[in-house]
Amino acid sequence: MNNETIREPSRFRDKLRAFFGSDSFKGLLPFIGLVVIIIVMNILTQGKILTAKRLRLLLSQVYYPMIVATGVFFVMTLGSIDFTEGSTLGLASIVISKLSFYSIPLAILGGILTGAAIGAINGFFHVKFKLQSFIITICTMYLFRGVCAYMTTETAVPASAAIKALDQNWLKITITVAVLVIAWFLFRFTRIGNDVKAVGSGETAARFSGVHTDRVKFLVFVAAGALTGLAAFVNVIKVGSITSTAGNQLETQILISLVLGGLPITGGAKVRFSNIVVGTLMYTILNNGLVMMGFESQTQQLIKGIIFLLFVALTIDRKALKVIK
Amino acid sequence: MDKKPLLIAEHIDKRFGITHAVNDVSLTIDAGEIRGLIGENGSGKSTFSQMLCGIYTIGGGSFTLDGEKLHIRNQVEANNVGIAIIVQEMGTLSGLTVAENIFLGHEEPFMHFGIKDTGAMNREAQRLLNEYGFGRIKAADMIDHYNFEDRKLVEIVKATYSKPKILVVDETTTALSQNGRLELYKIMDAVRADNRTVIFISHDLGEVLAHTDSVSVLRDGEYIDTVRSSDVTEDDLKRLMVGREIGSAYYRTDYGQKISEEVVLKVENVSVPKEIRNISFSLHKGEILGFGGLSECGMHEVGKAIFGASWDRSGSVTLADGTVISNIPTAIRHSIAYASKDRDNESIILNESIRNNVVLPSIDDLANRGLLNQRKLTQFAEKHAADMQTKMQNVNQFVSDLSGGNKQKVVLARWIGKGSDILVLDSPTRGIDVKVKQAIYALMSELKEQGKSIIMISEEIPELLGMADRILIMKDGVINGEFLRHPELSEEDLIEKMV
Repeated sequence: MNNETIREPSRFRDKLRAFFGSDSFKGLLPFIGLVVIIIVMNILTQGKILTAKRLRLLLSQVYYPMIVATGVFFVMTLGSIDFTEGSTLGLASIVISKLSFYSIPLAILGGILTGAAIGAINGFFHVKFKLQSFIITICTMYLFRGVCAYMTTETAVPASAAIKALDQNWLKITITVAVLVIAWFLFRFTRIGNDVKAVGSGETAARFSGVHTDRVKFLVFVAAGALTGLAAFVNVIKVGSITSTAGNQLETQILISLVLGGLPITGGAKVRFSNIVVGTLMYTILNNGLVMMGFESQTQQLIKGIIFLLFVALTIDRKALKVIK
Repeated sequence: MDKKPLLIAEHIDKRFGITHAVNDVSLTIDAGEIRGLIGENGSGKSTFSQMLCGIYTIGGGSFTLDGEKLHIRNQVEANNVGIAIIVQEMGTLSGLTVAENIFLGHEEPFMHFGIKDTGAMNREAQRLLNEYGFGRIKAADMIDHYNFEDRKLVEIVKATYSKPKILVVDETTTALSQNGRLELYKIMDAVRADNRTVIFISHDLGEVLAHTDSVSVLRDGEYIDTVRSSDVTEDDLKRLMVGREIGSAYYRTDYGQKISEEVVLKVENVSVPKEIRNISFSLHKGEILGFGGLSECGMHEVGKAIFGASWDRSGSVTLADGTVISNIPTAIRHSIAYASKDRDNESIILNESIRNNVVLPSIDDLANRGLLNQRKLTQFAEKHAADMQTKMQNVNQFVSDLSGGNKQKVVLARWIGKGSDILVLDSPTRGIDVKVKQAIYALMSELKEQGKSIIMISEEIPELLGMADRILIMKDGVINGEFLRHPELSEEDLIEKMV
């Protein structure tokens, strides 16, 4: 009897500790973070962020990052990383704008193919030359950033009036939701999701289990590029003309979004599809809140940096830690 | 001889989450003795010794060394009070030289005003290596030039040159060939002769009895007993470890069974540069074909070659129906299974759940027109993990949390689940305790009865003699001898062809 009563509190503490250290708690963290950010931002902006007008603006900023993040989600699940989204978006936007004077479907196709081609270059070097994606995509990022700058030196590249007329919420929502649903379906109900996670958790063992590891890695990079190309279409209908800064720093925005959403940077078994949605929303709300509070853009970056750092420190899986492929 | 207690462990305790890994263990070890520490996988022997060495923090209780209570926070501090460990897996660091590895954390004697005197360090390291009789290892070379076994020898030097009061040898011998083992035993004897102490952890009970003075047994984290090695037999130890009588049916007992004429797999002139040359043999239906040899003889590569996993293979591997096996997916699709010697890297995905590990090779079979039903996958994994009696909380548990024996059960579960007809098992019982070993042998016999064919690659000769219908011995990359199962076949017969 005595023993029991003495042991009770320590057992409770054990349980508590076990809960906070558990994966299910870590899985919940992003959702808690999202709610906390909404509440904090709402208080700090005196309720202005939750007005209908603001929400519409907020939503309009979510579409294309969410499409891009979906592709990058697969790359990061592999345990790889992709820094080319920004330059891919820029280049694909230019291609779409130029083609938009001939035919809209052709423009969309052109954008997707441009993205896919850049993804294929990344994937090819990653797979065939066994180079780390980190290195390759930094190189290709500079390369295509350069191409973008070259094509926009004289003047900004305008898009046709026909494509600008498509700037309607229903279309952007439809495209975004379609991308998310299809990707979720592939991730959860086909072999693709399994294979990608397996490579992320342990590439050698995945190969010995019959996964075509090289093929999977290549295709994921191509798909991520293609999705960024599609996102470029959504970008073009919104902005109408492309300057050299199109897609600037998009790669870091996506990286931060996904990590805020709880995606382990090591990839593998513990990724969740919800990371994409939660992360992108969190980032956008945070960003808007900081703007509304009237911070200078330098201060905004500082605050985002600190939040990012805290989140990585809190959520990273130290057991799976290794160099990013 | 006047023995005095060197190490007193009192009420040592450790929990990992809900697992009570070490439960109130108290024991005393004398100076000048070699103490064996045995137990099944997950019995807490490694955790216990790693707390002593500062690798894990002590959960409860205390260690007293030479009359002084220890307050160790890490491995370097443990080293400084005279406790050193040679660990189970790789303990040397790639990218450093041999000398840098040996003196890692103890560079002070070679530092002058913050600058390292590499020459002096290399000379001292080489002197030590020569003294140990490992002169062929060069101190200035990068450690990566050496194979697993040589790296272990470097580790042995690193752990022992400072003359620690206690040397912990944690399942080191599984990584060593016969020669390496002999070197290690010599060093252990030298430590004892110097009135210092060795704690020797091993699954090989014969080895434990032959080279220790006394043996302590742990079971499920609890201390069971300490016995004098000269007073007990292997069976006594097994009984203490498992807590019940281990049946005599350890290996197969049947002899003179005829091997089927039916060939299921034909290997012709298979070569892999620097590994194997012109390997040809046939595998029959229902046969257990053993491959033996020294660890560098190329037999491990044969397993990979059959599975289509070798990088640069020539020659052909064909099934009875003429299918040519040239890559892993084809091999798996055509009913070939492979369990690697390098279990943690090649056989299973450590950072993944039991469930996903079990379903991975069968994923196409489980899909319905390309669509996966998650519940069906879970049921599949649950069934096969349970059939193998895997010790787990549930199938969502990560494989990295499991003990060696349980990991191997997951490996076997996935291939049994896949229903493979040809199983290539490389070192199937490496680092695995008696109870699981027995289960694996029983499973192999059962698979044989079902008409499945097994290629068993093993560095343990008794296992080959006990289980195989036919044994091929390899040496320097070629097949050097063939033996049929026979009760009079002896270890010496096989060894003669190996060296």
